[in-house]
Amino acid sequence: MEKNRNNYCQRMLALIFAATFTAVMYVNQQALIYQMGLKLKTNSDIYTKLVDHNKILVYNVLNLSSPVTLERRLLAKEVELSMPSKWHVVKNDHSPKKVVLNSKELAKKGPLSNLFAKGR
Amino acid sequence: MYKGTTPRIRKVLYALILAFALLVVRLIFVQLGAAKPLSDIASSQYKLAVSLLPKRGVIYDRNLKELAISINLTSVFADPFKIKDKELAARKLSAALGAGQAETYQKLSREKGFVWLARRVSPDKARAVASLNIKGIDFIKEPQRVYPNGVMASHALGFTDIDNNGLEGLELKFDKYLKGIPGWRYAVRDAKQREVPGYNYKEILPVDGDNLVLTIDSMVQALAEKELNNGFEKYHAKGGCVIVMDPYTGDILALANRPSYDPNNAQSAPADYRRNRAICDFFEPGSSFKIVAASSLLEEKAVRPGDKFFCENGEYRWCGHTYHDHTAHGWLAFRDVIKYSSNIGTMKAAQKLGKDRFYKYIKKFGFGEKTGIDLPGEVNGVTRHPGTWSKLSLCSIAMGQEVTVTAIQLACAISALANGGNLVKPRIVQRIEACSGHAIQVFEPKKPQRVISEATAKEMRDILRSVVDDGTAQLAELEGYFPAGKTGTAQKVEPNGVYSHRKFTASFIGFVPYDNPKFTIVVIMDEPRPIYYGGVVSAPVFKKIAGELMSYAKIQPKEPPQPRRLPTR
Repeated sequence: MEKNRNNYCQRMLALIFAATFTAVMYVNQQALIYQMGLKLKTNSDIYTKLVDHNKILVYNVLNLSSPVTLERRLLAKEVELSMPSKWHVVKNDHSPKKVVLNSKELAKKGPLSNLFAKGR
Repeated sequence: MYKGTTPRIRKVLYALILAFALLVVRLIFVQLGAAKPLSDIASSQYKLAVSLLPKRGVIYDRNLKELAISINLTSVFADPFKIKDKELAARKLSAALGAGQAETYQKLSREKGFVWLARRVSPDKARAVASLNIKGIDFIKEPQRVYPNGVMASHALGFTDIDNNGLEGLELKFDKYLKGIPGWRYAVRDAKQREVPGYNYKEILPVDGDNLVLTIDSMVQALAEKELNNGFEKYHAKGGCVIVMDPYTGDILALANRPSYDPNNAQSAPADYRRNRAICDFFEPGSSFKIVAASSLLEEKAVRPGDKFFCENGEYRWCGHTYHDHTAHGWLAFRDVIKYSSNIGTMKAAQKLGKDRFYKYIKKFGFGEKTGIDLPGEVNGVTRHPGTWSKLSLCSIAMGQEVTVTAIQLACAISALANGGNLVKPRIVQRIEACSGHAIQVFEPKKPQRVISEATAKEMRDILRSVVDDGTAQLAELEGYFPAGKTGTAQKVEPNGVYSHRKFTASFIGFVPYDNPKFTIVVIMDEPRPIYYGGVVSAPVFKKIAGELMSYAKIQPKEPPQPRRLPTR
């Protein structure tokens, strides 16, 4: 009788322990999910912020390199670009096939230099 | 019942049983009768539907330079219930946002849980507001359509409203491709209404909008806009437009209008400024339309270039009306009739063609019908059927009166002469691309329709070259490139129905170089002042654009040919 009662108590205790353990594990899992979600969200927010910032910078670069803006800026500095007159053009029948510019020379070339010859 | 229980305990027990029974009944009632609405109320308290906005597609020019992009900007909103000291908050916020303090205070005083304070503010302003750290102020990201080139190509591109719906131009025409499909995320929120991360139980991702690749070349567009603007301001015109087209494919390389507007701030511009005059406005073309009369006369062999016409020394009375030339001429060969733009010579020549044959060519050149360009608001123009023509109509139409056209129709017509006699369909969109880059739809150039023979087209090119070389359009001459074209100066019709002597439409339509045309250029100026001749107002604009285009296309100038004498019969 006493033995049965002990067995019964042990089973009950085991059950209670198992149920408690499962519940704790479940809560732990939920906490981990939340933590991971928070981390992902933080990373995603940083990523989105960087992408947005990048897009705004791209827009600024496009705006600055826009022919309309360049024209306005050049006119503000009283620099007028015009097509070359005949006397601006030097015709060289024996020119080398390709002129290789070094990086310094390339840096000097303006964005419109291949389109217009500068003249006042 | 157990022995030994007192009546009082029994009463308590009965009361408990009754209470429990009532709870069970209530539970059954709730579960069977009101489960759905109550469940919905509960869901609305902890569920959160987050709208996922798609990215609107990019509009590129033909060289894949961005003409319209979307950026995410921060919008600031407030929950007035959570703000304790509204006056202090209004003072701080108005300083950070650059808004009026009274207006901000008024917004914060509303009996609402959500109030917009500022939408799509600059990152600096958003940072300034965030640094205030005011409880009840929050932020949301919203996409903003921006146009890096400002006014450039604004009429072709159009613009969007605050919710990113296309309202004008290509933004409107291709809105269903550009806007994409919004998505949703159903998330769980906590007691403080914040989204609980990691508990999304349903997510439908947004589909980003497709990208458009245009035929417009932003450099050509910039050149056209610059020169149009110079002409527009110099001659105080009411309006103006320029079209630059590839005469072989119909590709629109530039489409510029004045007055113009900045699509980044479209609402501030009057509706008149936003009208795409190149396709939405029709006008009497005047002498520019003589290219149609001349082409049809030559094609039908009703006249030969050397046939002579007496131009009545500048004044000719016919059917009760007196017609004038702007310069008095005697006998002129037909080619010189066009070269000097003689109205009298043209009307005499047109009579040899007859109204039915002339009408056939007007239709063949595409007048009176939409060209089918992928822009909203295109109009037909007016060409009446010969059955309704008066005795004067044949002559009037040959001179470009009693007929109305659009600039884009003129561009197609002059392109037909430039490319050897084929009428091309204008094309402004090359293809639609998915955001991954693969083409969804490609708009190939439509097969052109032959209008006149190659021989007639060549003859016309020679005649139009003489117009620039020695005729009414000498101000369009470009040394070394030999452009060709036709001037037009049309009187506008006053509201009382008579031709105005104060209001004119000055036009020049042409191509360059004349022997191997690369570009067709149409320049229209509406009501220029004080000078109103197409050869003086529009031809120089053509010359400037053509010159810069030649440099851009790296076409070398040629040596001038030996002086040639055109044979006369």
